[in-house]
Amino acid sequence: MLVTWRYRDRKSLIQSFDPSAWIIFYTCFIVATIFFWDIRYLSFLLIIALVVVFTSKVTWGESRRAWLFIGGFVVFFAVLTFLTGRGGMEVYEEEHVITTLRAPFTLFGWRPALDITLERAMFGLSQMVRVFSMASVTILIPYTLNPAHYGISFRRLGLPDKIAYAMDLTMRFIPTFGRDFQLTMDAQRARGYEIEKLSGGLFSQVRKLAPLIVPVTIHAIAGSEDIIDAMDLRGFGIGPRTWLTELKFKRRDYALTVFGGVLLNALGG
Amino acid sequence: MNGTRPLSVVLSLAAVLVVFLLVVWIGPSFNESLQLDETALIRFVFVGVGLLAVFVVYWFTRDNAAWEVGTREVVYMAIGAALYAVFSYLFNGTVFVVPSVSQVALRPAIAIPMFFGYAFGPVVGFFSGAVGNMFGDALTGFGLYPQWSVANGLVGMISGMIALYVDKKRAMDAVLYISAALAAVTTLIWILNPTLENLMFFDVDAGIFGDAAISTFAGLSAVVGFVLVVLIRLIFRENIDLAAAVTWAMLGNFIGIGFASISDIWVNGYSPSVAIVGEFLPAAGPNMIFAAILVPILIGAYNALQRQIGR
Repeated sequence: MLVTWRYRDRKSLIQSFDPSAWIIFYTCFIVATIFFWDIRYLSFLLIIALVVVFTSKVTWGESRRAWLFIGGFVVFFAVLTFLTGRGGMEVYEEEHVITTLRAPFTLFGWRPALDITLERAMFGLSQMVRVFSMASVTILIPYTLNPAHYGISFRRLGLPDKIAYAMDLTMRFIPTFGRDFQLTMDAQRARGYEIEKLSGGLFSQVRKLAPLIVPVTIHAIAGSEDIIDAMDLRGFGIGPRTWLTELKFKRRDYALTVFGGVLLNALGG
Repeated sequence: MNGTRPLSVVLSLAAVLVVFLLVVWIGPSFNESLQLDETALIRFVFVGVGLLAVFVVYWFTRDNAAWEVGTREVVYMAIGAALYAVFSYLFNGTVFVVPSVSQVALRPAIAIPMFFGYAFGPVVGFFSGAVGNMFGDALTGFGLYPQWSVANGLVGMISGMIALYVDKKRAMDAVLYISAALAAVTTLIWILNPTLENLMFFDVDAGIFGDAAISTFAGLSAVVGFVLVVLIRLIFRENIDLAAAVTWAMLGNFIGIGFASISDIWVNGYSPSVAIVGEFLPAAGPNMIFAAILVPILIGAYNALQRQIGR
């Protein structure tokens, strides 16, 4: 049985656009964000992301888990960047030290020290804004994009029928397999399997992951026979595909597409 | 099914290498954006190079039935990509605190594109790796690393290239020799640079953020993985399909992860030795260990399923 994302019609700003227009805008937004490390440009992109989030009508209760995970992830990696400066070396060449923190202890005569520099601090902040902007618009996709429109949206973006339908099925299968994995893990735990307490050497540990990975994979392949039969019975792939839903670009969809293009060119170019 | 001469694949890969070098050497004289510090643009250049590699391989072998995509392949593409995305998300260390042994963290999801490539062909393998990695990164919130998605696609596609050959044993031997050479060269680079950092290893509790010197086991992991694959070849001497699946998965892993690591020389500004020792070995070596253990288990289970359902 297919499990779906928590989509429902919310009459929100994001849902007022054609899904294809939204995917084009989303792609332009992500690429423009990838291009930049300058906090001024990133702040502008963050504002756009926040407008989208606050008008999405996705409640905190339904998306709390995703936000907490992303929040933790973003803060962790921003702190990591701040502490190590890793990844920033290609953006700045010299560092201005604000202060140096020294540990009150020594390890074999060596006293750990941490340089707090202006560049690292700004780079860490930029990374936080950057990743948060990308993640926040990404989180909304399963809540706001109608699963019935996945396939036709990818088709209208120019993908061939088969690839568009494969993308459609991929997005539909992800929550289903997530559920299957949870069920399998619960079943194995009932038999005494504990993933948190894998013991032994590397080879032994890898082998012990098989009771989770193999049942989920083989169950998915076995279950696919029904889907393949259903698609074959409906003549999938013997000619150009038609879709049950028809999507039409309205004026606002063209405007959003142009805005995405401008965003990409003005900032990225 | 028509056979394909190994020479055509070697020529295809050589053609891609030439294009790759042209981008690096001549590109900057046409467009200054191709200078090394334009990391974002370089990322997309490498996506183009990776996709070109796929296309060239396809073009030289396009008459082979392995490239056909029917209903079955469309569904398996989706299943492979979704499973890879879900397992990547679950085993990336942020959902489960996966254990690690001597700097090698458990990331078993790579076995999925390898297995799907072997079982259902190069197109299914490529889609499973590339799209699965993209959705896996999106689920995790890691952002988009498009050249790594293409690299994962290459892992799946090359694992499925076994289907292009009629004489599987001969092709497998050739793959084994190429992989031996790659394992030897990369390990030699580690022996010459043993103090470089393992960029793929994070241990927050120990205060290690990809800055610990690479361990001996991680440095030797490509050789360890290669030896495992050879052992499988010897143990399953009678089961040529299983041995070939693991051998081709090894080559896919070497070329795919190698492609992504080498691209980081330009994308992240790493030196070649840092890209090989700090990134390639700690990623590709363990992947081969997962491939050598999990892919045969998956193939065994899949063969049992095939006998059961008769398809």
